[in-house]
Formats: sequence, C-alpha cells, structure tokens
Amino acid sequence: MHTRARRRAFAVALGLLAVAAIPGTADAYVGPGAGFAFVSSFLVLFSTIFIVFASLLIWPFRLLWRALTQRSKIKPKIKRFIVCGFDGQDPQLTDRFIAEGKLPNFERLAKMGCYKPLKTTFPALSPVAWSSFATGSRPARHNIYDFLDRDRRTYLPVLSSTKIGSVEKFLKLGPFRIPMESPEIRLLRKSKPFWTILGEHNIWSTVVRVPITFPPDRFYGAQLSAMCTPDLLGTQGTFLLFTTRSADDTFKEGGMRVQVEMNGDRVTGTLQGPENMLREGNPPLEIAVKAELNRNDNSAEVHFGDESVSLELNELSDWVALTFNAAPMVKVRGIARVMMTEMNGHFSLYMTPIAIDPEKPAMPISHPSYYSVYLAKLQGKYSTLGLAEDTWALNEEVIEDRHFRELALDIDDERKEMFFTSLDKLRKGSLTCVFDATDRIQHMYWRYIEKGHPADDGRETDCRDAIEEIYVRNDKIVGELLDKVGPDDLLMVLSDHGFASFRRGVNLNRWLLDNGYLHLKEGAEGTDEWLLDVDWSRTKAYCLGLSGMFFNIKGRESQGIVEPDDVAALKDEIAGKLKGLRDDEHDEVAIIEAFDTTKLYSGPYLENAPEFVIGYNRGYRTSWDCATGVVNAPLFEDNVKAWSGDHCVDPRLVPGVLFCNRDIDIDDPALIDIAPTALQQFGIEPPKHMDGKVLFKDDAKETTG
Amino acid sequence: MSLLNNLLGGTFDLLLLPFRSLPPMVGLVVVSALCSVGMLLGYRATSNQPAVEAVKRKIAAGLFEIRLYNDDIVAIFRAQGAILRDNLRYLGLNLVPMVFMMAPFVLIVAQLQFHYGYEGLEVDTPVLLQVTLAEGSTADVELDLPDGVRLDAPRVAMPTLPGAAWRLVPEAAGSYEIGIRVGDETLTKTLVADSRVTRRSPNRLAPGFLNQLIYPAEAPLPADSAAIAIELHYQERELSVLGFGMHWLIWFFILTMALAFAMKGWFGVTI
Repeated sequence: MHTRARRRAFAVALGLLAVAAIPGTADAYVGPGAGFAFVSSFLVLFSTIFIVFASLLIWPFRLLWRALTQRSKIKPKIKRFIVCGFDGQDPQLTDRFIAEGKLPNFERLAKMGCYKPLKTTFPALSPVAWSSFATGSRPARHNIYDFLDRDRRTYLPVLSSTKIGSVEKFLKLGPFRIPMESPEIRLLRKSKPFWTILGEHNIWSTVVRVPITFPPDRFYGAQLSAMCTPDLLGTQGTFLLFTTRSADDTFKEGGMRVQVEMNGDRVTGTLQGPENMLREGNPPLEIAVKAELNRNDNSAEVHFGDESVSLELNELSDWVALTFNAAPMVKVRGIARVMMTEMNGHFSLYMTPIAIDPEKPAMPISHPSYYSVYLAKLQGKYSTLGLAEDTWALNEEVIEDRHFRELALDIDDERKEMFFTSLDKLRKGSLTCVFDATDRIQHMYWRYIEKGHPADDGRETDCRDAIEEIYVRNDKIVGELLDKVGPDDLLMVLSDHGFASFRRGVNLNRWLLDNGYLHLKEGAEGTDEWLLDVDWSRTKAYCLGLSGMFFNIKGRESQGIVEPDDVAALKDEIAGKLKGLRDDEHDEVAIIEAFDTTKLYSGPYLENAPEFVIGYNRGYRTSWDCATGVVNAPLFEDNVKAWSGDHCVDPRLVPGVLFCNRDIDIDDPALIDIAPTALQQFGIEPPKHMDGKVLFKDDAKETTG
Repeated sequence: MSLLNNLLGGTFDLLLLPFRSLPPMVGLVVVSALCSVGMLLGYRATSNQPAVEAVKRKIAAGLFEIRLYNDDIVAIFRAQGAILRDNLRYLGLNLVPMVFMMAPFVLIVAQLQFHYGYEGLEVDTPVLLQVTLAEGSTADVELDLPDGVRLDAPRVAMPTLPGAAWRLVPEAAGSYEIGIRVGDETLTKTLVADSRVTRRSPNRLAPGFLNQLIYPAEAPLPADSAAIAIELHYQERELSVLGFGMHWLIWFFILTMALAFAMKGWFGVTI
C-alpha cells in the first residue's frame, strides 16, 4: 500500500478505534489483531518468565554440580580465546597485499603481537589440517589422512571422516515401514579436540564451522558442523540442472541433470530428493517442479511443490525451502538456491546442492541440536552443507564466475554474522570460527592471478580481482574483531595451509601402471572410475584421494599381494623413483618427494595411513582422472578447469599464516600447536597425546592436569 | 446506520437460522470459524508480514538463547531483555491490523451478542419491562399487550426517573410485539419467549450513532419521541461445554483464536 494512503487509512481506523473504545458490550474483544497480539505475547511472556525462572532456580545447582564434577582447580591466564580461521589464506599473498597497503588490519594485528607462517600438516588438506588443529596431534592420532579413505575389502573410496549407516529393522504398517532404530552417524576423527578438554574443566566453547565436525562433538559448548556434512541426498554436494537439453550425459563431478518438459510458457518436471526409507524399496521423495515463463521480461515464477519463487534470468534466488512429504505428518526439509540460466529455445534451471534445513535438520548438524535452529532464527536460513560453495557447478560451467563469487560471498556473510553474534555472547571461554571463502575463491580464481595458466581462456570476467577482494574482506573482519577484543583476550587469526597454482595434473596411477606396480584386468582399458579396472591380484600400489599412495599389502587389503616384510624395500624403490619426477613436456620437477608416513607420524592409527604422502611441486597436483580412479589417462596433463589453484602439494611449500595479538615465544609455530596453547592459556596442562607444543612460555605451577 | 444494522441483522439471522434448534455452541463454532478466516485474511492484508515474521524469529532466538547460555546469568537476563523488547515491537506491529479489523468486528460482536448474550424468556416466568421518558416529560404511558402476554403486577412508577415499569408474563412461547402508548404516540418493543438461538433485543433506545452501533438488534425510537429507552430485562446467558460455563464472548475469543492459529498455515499467514 502507498505510504500516504496507508497513513490516511490508519487515521480513519484510529478514529474507529476511538469510537469503539467507548465501553459497551463489544469492548471485551477489541479485535483480532489485539487477540493475536494478546495470545502470542502472553505465550512469549509466559514462556520467557517460566524459562528464566527455571534457569534461575536451577542455576545454583548447576554451578554446584559443575564445581563438584570439575576435574581440578584451574587458573586461566585469559578470559577469552578467539580463533578466526581463514581457510587457505596464503602467506605469500598476505605479504604481497600487506606490502601494497591493502590489509591494514592484518598489519595492525601483526604489530600488536606477531605474524608468522604456520606449519601445516602432511598432507596439506583441510580435513587433515583442521583435525590436527582441533586435537593438537598429527594424523596418526586423529585418523584423518585425506577426504577419502579406501574400503580395504572392495578398494572403493569411502568418506574418511564420517560413517553414515543404514537402518535394518523396520515395523511394517500398511504401505509404510517404521524404522525401529536410528541410523548410525559416526564421526571417525579420533582423539579429543581442545574444546572437549576445555569443557571438562567447565570452560565454554563455541565452535562454528570448523571442518570435520559432522556429526557434532558433544561437549560443554555449542557447535555447528562443517566440512563433510552431507546434503539432503546424502552426498558431499550434488547440484541439479533442470533442463530441456539432452539428458544422455551426466556431469563428471558432483552434478545431476534432470530432464524437464517445456510446453509453450510452461515447464514441468520432478525434483527427486532423498530416499524415502519409510517405504519399501526406498523410492526417492519427489517434489513437482513447475515454471511459468514470462519471456517479455526474462522472468519466471517457479513452483517447487507449495513453495514459489520469482526468478530473473541469470540471477540467483534467496534460499528456497523444499519440503518432501515422506508420510503423513513426516516431512524432510531442505533448502537450496536456484537460478534460471536459459529460457529461450531451451530452458535450464540450476539448483545448488540441497542443504539440510538448519531450522528442521534431517540429520544432526549441531550441538546442542537446537543450536542450528537458534542461529537460523537469529539470522535466517544459511548453508549447512560441508562444502557449501558449489565449486563443481563452476567447474562444469553450469554457472558463471560471478554466480560462484556471489554464492561464496553470501556464505561468507552468513558466517560473519554467526561469528560476531557468537563473539558478542561469549564472556568467558573459547570461540573458533572458520571462514571457507578464501579457500574456495583461490581454488576457482587462481587462473586469473597467474599469467599463462592453462585454465585462463582469456574470457571477459569481473572476477579477476576476486582473490584480492576476499583478502580485503578478511582484513575488514579482522578490523571489526580487533575493536571487540579486550586485553584479557587471546586472539589468533590463522589459516590451515597456503595456496599454490594447479596448472598440471599428475596421474600417478598411470605412472604405477607404466612402471609395473599396477596392473589392469584382462581386456580392461583402465578408463573406468574408482579403479574398477585394476587387477588386484597383480597390483602392488595404487593411489586414491588427493595425496596418498597405498600399497596392496597382504593381510591388510582383501586381495593384498605385498608381503609385510617387503614393504620397506618397496617403499625405498618407489620413493627413489618418484623423488624429483620430471614433467619433461614442461621441463619442471613435478614431484619433490614421496613422504614415507611411518617417518612422518607416530600414533595408534598409523596403520590406517597411506604408505606415502606425495609432495607435489608448486603448479602440480594429482590429476582429475587420478583423483577419480581412472588409470588410463595421460601421466601429465594441463588442468583447464576453473578449479585452478590448490594446496595438495609438498606441505613445506604451503604453510598457513598465524597472526596473534600477543607475541609468541617460538619461531616456527605449527597448526598442531594451537590446541595445547589454548589449554595452557586456560591453565590446563596439555595431555600427553598432543604432538603440538605450547606457543607461550609457561609457569608450570599455574597449570594442572 | 439503521440500514447497515438491518442488513447485518438480516444476514446474521439467516446465517444462524440452520443452527436455531441446535445447541448454541454449534452455531458459535461455525461463526467463529468464518470469523477466523476473515481475521486471517484481514490480518494478512493489513499487517507487515515480513516484520512480524522477523520479530517472531528474534523472540524464538531469544528463548533458545536462554536455554543455550543457561549457566551465564548475565546472558539469561540479556536474552530476556531482548525478548521483552521484541515482544513490544510485536505488539506494535499488531496495532495496525487491530485498528483495521476492529470496526467490522465490533459490528459482528454486537450482532452476535443479541443471539448468544441473553437467555430466552420462559413461559409463565415474569420479566420486567421498563420505559424511560425524557427528563421533564409528563406524558402518560400505557401498555397494549398482545395475546399470549399478560400483566403480572400493576404498573410501578419510578421515583428517580420519569417513566414506568411493568412485570410481564409470557403465557406461551413465541415472539411478541408489545404496544406502548406514550402520550399520543404508539411505540413497540419485541419480546421473545423462546429458548432457541434467535435475536433478542433487551433495549430499544433513542437514535444516535453509538446506540445504534452497540444495540443494533432493534430500530431506534423515533427522534421526537417522549420515550428515550425501553428495556426488557432478559437474563444474561452462559454457554456451557461439558459443564464448564462461560460468557459466549470468551468462548468466541478462544474459538476464533484457536481456529485462526490452526488455519494460519493454510492461508500463509504469520501471526
């Protein structure tokens, strides 16, 4: 309604109110607006007073209980420990932007305390690095070596961090079957993160989107899960493309094409969601998709079941709620963003991976369970997917550079709000928040900062400065943060690893084939994914994941042939051949060294480690084919995908950064040092299993175990 | 106003006709459901839905916050303060739809009051009829009773007000029109001796906006009449459900609220 008309109507209505306010029979019920306000407000007030009263009543008992159950008296040196993580922030780029005066707040923080490169983990991968950050230990103690592990029985890849089981027992009830147990969802990361240990000493921690926290840890604090949280389909992020174009081809990485029909200005199709385990055979849940096109103004009204969204051509929508009806009164809810990418001639609609709805999560994505709901109520819907930024859609050129940047920066904004809200609430304890955009933007736009990168096809794009832009955004976050940090607070701004170019892919499975360590099945061409063409009865070594090489060891792998006694010799042989492996076409060293994991780590889960962590040179990485288990592909090939920067190289080449508001007492800090330092600063002696060292000199008397 | 009242009166008579012989609660539930739908549509049209939704989300967040930080007394009180502030904002947002919807609802409630607010007169049970004259009037007042209504006691003069009162007794169930002669003019007043749900008018008053707004069940007295009020003392009614009796308006409030909250999802309304 127009403002003036609204005001006039309001004045008239106010007059009527004055008339009706005169006592009479009807004055007992002055109108539904008041009724709604009265009922809702009364409920809110009643609930608030009740909860506050109950909290106050229980509070002394909680304090007493905590005092009684506390392991020992501690004497914290700090009030708050704040970690702001910028995944993948690179020291070389940081130095360059500081020198150019583009990061004044980082510079201020460095002058206030210190700025040093931060040693990363072997391998320099986020799931490994952040697990080491959290537990203060190397991979052999937390058991995360890569994104993927291999199933020793089938040799197929499995997610290294989480096990999601299925339900076996059901009660049949007509057309439905009721699960009689909950599916197993288990975090495979071992060891104790520092926030759990802080909690054991009654110190609160808020942990926002730190990788490898799905399902969430249970501790004294709050946590929102991150990397490895699946989408609603149970994958690590499957985007959808509803299209009238041919459906005879599937996307190679992470996407799914959905055929739709166009009839004039109307488009119809079906969105297939997660499996319905309440029905025999687990048929997929479905939502009808309808679009009404308005070609005159390049817009459309798109309906997903009961939910409607107005779209402009090539503009991303806000979050759209997707509700799948599994059974009467049983709904599975997700959220996604959509974008119509073409509407004339053909119709195509891109949909981001369907994230778990944080307000009604279908899986445990936070601790306590209502924490994700609380955040959603506070700031609206937000992405819950582990790898939330849809890198695959840009890799497959389903979306453009600017769309990916928008997705990434929107998620960054969501994260920023979570972080500062949590910081405002935190009076004592720790807060850790990881921002992923730096990593994702460098992965996708590195081709624009390196001259001659094979993935830069010279196209017009407004994302050539995207990397600088994200560093400047980080700097602003640091600036805001510095304004909120007090003298009793310890602030660390850090990254888990740096970054390098990814110009050339290396297919080490091909190298193993060429060198007689890997054999294909009779007649197989080696073009099948996931090493399905490999003859395991003759294969000694294989690569899986982004950094590891495994041996096919007798007694360990189901069809192992390498005798345990021969492992050391084989290691020497292969390491010798790989060291300094050259890419003759480019006259460069592709592999600096293959690191023997038994020399890198020690710990109870060492037997699960790959035999080697491959130390690629800058510019090289495992090739796309090798990563998906295709053997018969070139040993070296140009990387022409948008994913053009990476950090899966020799970890010594890509340290992270550490900024701290206090000067640290050692010169070569490492990511594994943060957890013991956090404990020490709160007066707790770091446990023996932590490999890291404390960054500050300590008076031992002030800490206790 | 008379035209509006006649229109509304006729509409409500017609609407409630099917429920006349049923327990009063049945008709009230149906009317409440219709009113709830109207309320929802009106609320949706006149309220700032995004703002209502936003403030309700903030309130919910505040409640979660109290639970989340329940070891921190300061955080609890901060959250409570925020909730109270948001609650006030919510009340403020409800003011506009309240103002818009008040007028139609006053009219509706006034109509319903004359169907549900009074007990019907019982046969052979006396009821007081009172005629009040304008101050200083000396006109003589006499009754013309129809068949089926008799006088129970002689006329009683009122010492403080000019006018008179009578005790009438309906002898048979039905609707009657009592004739009242005031000086030279003849006025009428309805009398309903019927326990079913039907329109009952306890007052017939001098013309005026408020009188007609609040007592729409009967036409006002002529403007030049010596009488300013004719009042028939019906008993107020309570509606009982499972032995639990309350004023109909309270039932109406509960029903309209409950039904509106139940149906808000269908209409896409955030309350």
